[in-house]
Amino acid sequence: MRFELTRFPFVRSLLKNRWLQFLIWVVLLAGFLFAILSGLFGTPVGNHNFGIVFVWIAWWAVLILVAVPFFGRGWCAVCPIPLPGEWFQRGALMDPPQKKPRRINLRWPNRLRNIWLQNLTFTLVALFSSIILTTPRVTAIVLAAMFFLAIGMSIVFERRTFCRYICPVGGFIGLYAQAAPLELRVKDKQVCLACQDKPCYHGSQAGYGCPWDVFPGSLTKNTYCGLCMECLRTCPYDNIAVNTRPFSSDLARPSTRMDEAFKAFIMLGAALIYAGVFLGPWGSLKLAAWSVGSTAWFGYAVAFLAFIFGLLPALFLGAVWFGKLLTKATTTLKKSFTALSTAIIPLGLMFWVAFSLSFVLTNAAYILSSLSDPFGWGWNLFASAAIPWQPILTNILLPLQTLVLVGGLLWTISTARKAASEVKVSPVPVIVFSTAATLVMLGLLL
Amino acid sequence: MKRSELLSRILIISGVLLVLAVPFAVQSIRSQGVIEIHGRMAEAGGWSPNVIHAQVGVPLHLRLTSDDVMHGFAIGQSPVPAVDVLPGQMTDMTMTFDQPGTYTYYCTHWCGPNHWRMRGTIEVTGDALASPQPLTPPLYVTLKLDIDAPHPAPVTPARVPDAVHGAQFSALLPAGVLSPDYYRSHSPEQAFQDLKAVSSLASLTDSDLWDLVAWLWQSNTTPADLSQGQRLFAQNCAACHGETGSGNGVFSADIKTLAGKTPANLSNPSTMLGAAPALLQGKLLRGGMGTGMPSWGPILTDQQTWDLIAYLYSLQFNPVSIPAH
Amino acid sequence: MTKKQLSFGVLFLLAGAAIIFAPLPVGAAAPIHRTFQVEASQFAYAPAVLQVNPGDTVTIQLASTDVVHGFYLDGYSVSVTADPGQTASLTFTADRSGTWRFRCNVTCGALHPFMVGKLQVGPDTSLWRAIALTLLAALAMLILRPSIPRVEAS
Repeated sequence: MRFELTRFPFVRSLLKNRWLQFLIWVVLLAGFLFAILSGLFGTPVGNHNFGIVFVWIAWWAVLILVAVPFFGRGWCAVCPIPLPGEWFQRGALMDPPQKKPRRINLRWPNRLRNIWLQNLTFTLVALFSSIILTTPRVTAIVLAAMFFLAIGMSIVFERRTFCRYICPVGGFIGLYAQAAPLELRVKDKQVCLACQDKPCYHGSQAGYGCPWDVFPGSLTKNTYCGLCMECLRTCPYDNIAVNTRPFSSDLARPSTRMDEAFKAFIMLGAALIYAGVFLGPWGSLKLAAWSVGSTAWFGYAVAFLAFIFGLLPALFLGAVWFGKLLTKATTTLKKSFTALSTAIIPLGLMFWVAFSLSFVLTNAAYILSSLSDPFGWGWNLFASAAIPWQPILTNILLPLQTLVLVGGLLWTISTARKAASEVKVSPVPVIVFSTAATLVMLGLLL
Repeated sequence: MKRSELLSRILIISGVLLVLAVPFAVQSIRSQGVIEIHGRMAEAGGWSPNVIHAQVGVPLHLRLTSDDVMHGFAIGQSPVPAVDVLPGQMTDMTMTFDQPGTYTYYCTHWCGPNHWRMRGTIEVTGDALASPQPLTPPLYVTLKLDIDAPHPAPVTPARVPDAVHGAQFSALLPAGVLSPDYYRSHSPEQAFQDLKAVSSLASLTDSDLWDLVAWLWQSNTTPADLSQGQRLFAQNCAACHGETGSGNGVFSADIKTLAGKTPANLSNPSTMLGAAPALLQGKLLRGGMGTGMPSWGPILTDQQTWDLIAYLYSLQFNPVSIPAH
Repeated sequence: MTKKQLSFGVLFLLAGAAIIFAPLPVGAAAPIHRTFQVEASQFAYAPAVLQVNPGDTVTIQLASTDVVHGFYLDGYSVSVTADPGQTASLTFTADRSGTWRFRCNVTCGALHPFMVGKLQVGPDTSLWRAIALTLLAALAMLILRPSIPRVEAS
């Protein structure tokens, strides 16, 4: 049930338009730099600092509640972090220059052509999140580090290697993009087979080769396409389309990769831990998470890592194994594990939506005051600086979270069944696992 | 290069420069003529700056903010009202001094066991606009009281003295004990002993005499002053000494760690009845030299000190409204 | 979809609706006056979970132990702040049943946004309903279509 959005010439020209994309980039790049500036020089009090409020409340809310579930890698299309590096690589901001500039353009090593590094960077951010999310200066340093790392990598390597292999956010955006109702695909594979130059991958005078190192002709899942629209510009046969499609379309084809499987567990585990530590009433847990370097923090870090990399996957493996036992299937355990871990993708996404709803609705009011006084320096640009803190929509928060989590479970079970039938394993133990996890999340949030 | 390329480059460079430069430009304009003071908990540095210079008669514009928790700002011994210093927000205040000297500013919201150390000074120079107040040494200096010596009352009342009951004997009091000087230089126990020796009071029981002492103590203050004293106690003392004065305030454990002993029990009859007001004034003004007791000398006015002391004594006696003498 | 699946489906939908909307028996306990001594410190309340009956008059005695803290009750929009050494009092009638979070409303340090506790007015029906709904959902998905694939003999 795919609907091609680019069948309308208006939509097609809008997506191909470099000025529209550039203007969005300028605004977001300015906002990004402003956030770093605010974090470094503004008040150290998080809830009155633009860097904290606009990154961890405003941007995060838009990302996890809108961009990822509905537009997949839509954020990656407009993210400012890779831009300076990319402009340097290309030698231009807009259309390709007459002469391609000489650059080092190293190929990313084969060993690292997976998302294990992204699993690592996300885990690091998650481990130190209580400091990052609350301390403006630390947020600024993390953002600046990502920015300069991306620039540095673009100077040495080809294409968007930071985005594809390092960015902590990109790891889970790609994973969850598989569930989104938007995609970019070729219209007719035969056209691609007949095409000689493959300008979608190598670039041409009309545009640049895919910065995400993806060959559009073989795109079957959303995971690694960053929706940058270059291939729309370069394809001489107008063979690229942007479609809407049902949710969860890519999940019908289960994963075979262990790095993606573990990404799903890292996200699931982190959501559960955050719900307990940040939204729970237990002060000692919060202090343990925050007092980096103390004995309590080491205990927290060990428990955090053991849960995400050990307990959760181990329990799931047990469920998979039991499912295999029930059907006496001949599929390998590894294949069954990676296939069924596809079910954890919608579960994790909905856990994150439910968790984020809580602190976003509680703290959204700061967005208004921060617009007027971004640095906490006593400004009042839009006369909203004195708007007091007030949680919004708290009456519907609990029912909303219930809806999200129960809906997520239904989605997960459906995905588990599809994946299980592919590997001829029983999904029932995994369904039990997912139900149990949902009950725990409900207990923590409600 | 193509026009769109040039235009886009101009746009991005000017956009980035704008974002980086405008905030600082705006801020430097806004901070003309204003001194920005950042408050942090004492453990994190206290007030920054903690020394400010001002001129007599020239308005001093301050912009206050907190970098961590809720603080407050007030000037010691000054009628300028205290302001809340809010985390991440700015509060403006302006004041003008008509006397040169050193003024102490301090935090007015408890922010940790070292809250009282969160102080700074305003050095005001210039010629006085009005004649200065003459300075007199505090009473404990004049009386040569040793404010660190223990002062248990040798005798204490069997039950809580009742000033209303004591009022009925007030007419029998000798003139000497009715002066403020007597009150300030004698402990209630000393007054009790003095009254015991008075022949016209020979028929009174010890209990009656204590009631009379209670009345005498209450007559040296007013309900409004007691109220003020209670407010001062709640704001400044209760966090360590406890809301009932028993030495078990929320910071008492921290004080024990910092200073080796818990804050004094101000509800103990022996301690309080054995102390003269001048002695208590000395402890308040000077502080505890390593016991963690702050020095309130730069902060409290004379009147505030006596009011606080009157409130402390009132904890020893049954509450009463002062009947007309 | 088979007729059997359809009828089961309708049954599950009705059960779901019942779980969401059916009024649960309200406790017949007479409203009383309850007082809670709540200590606030960086960054938690003690006790952090308070249980009252609907209609109770509730007094919160808030005692801060380190810096100025606040107590803001979601859903009731009442609040109070306390300086250390000055216990502050808040009294209200718990006329809205359900689970309500209370949060600190005076910035009290880095983790201030996560300083939270819970007031439970009446039984925790929202959690019970959510649990029941979750189990119903899992059951429905398991029953409506067979889950154990049979391995085909090749």
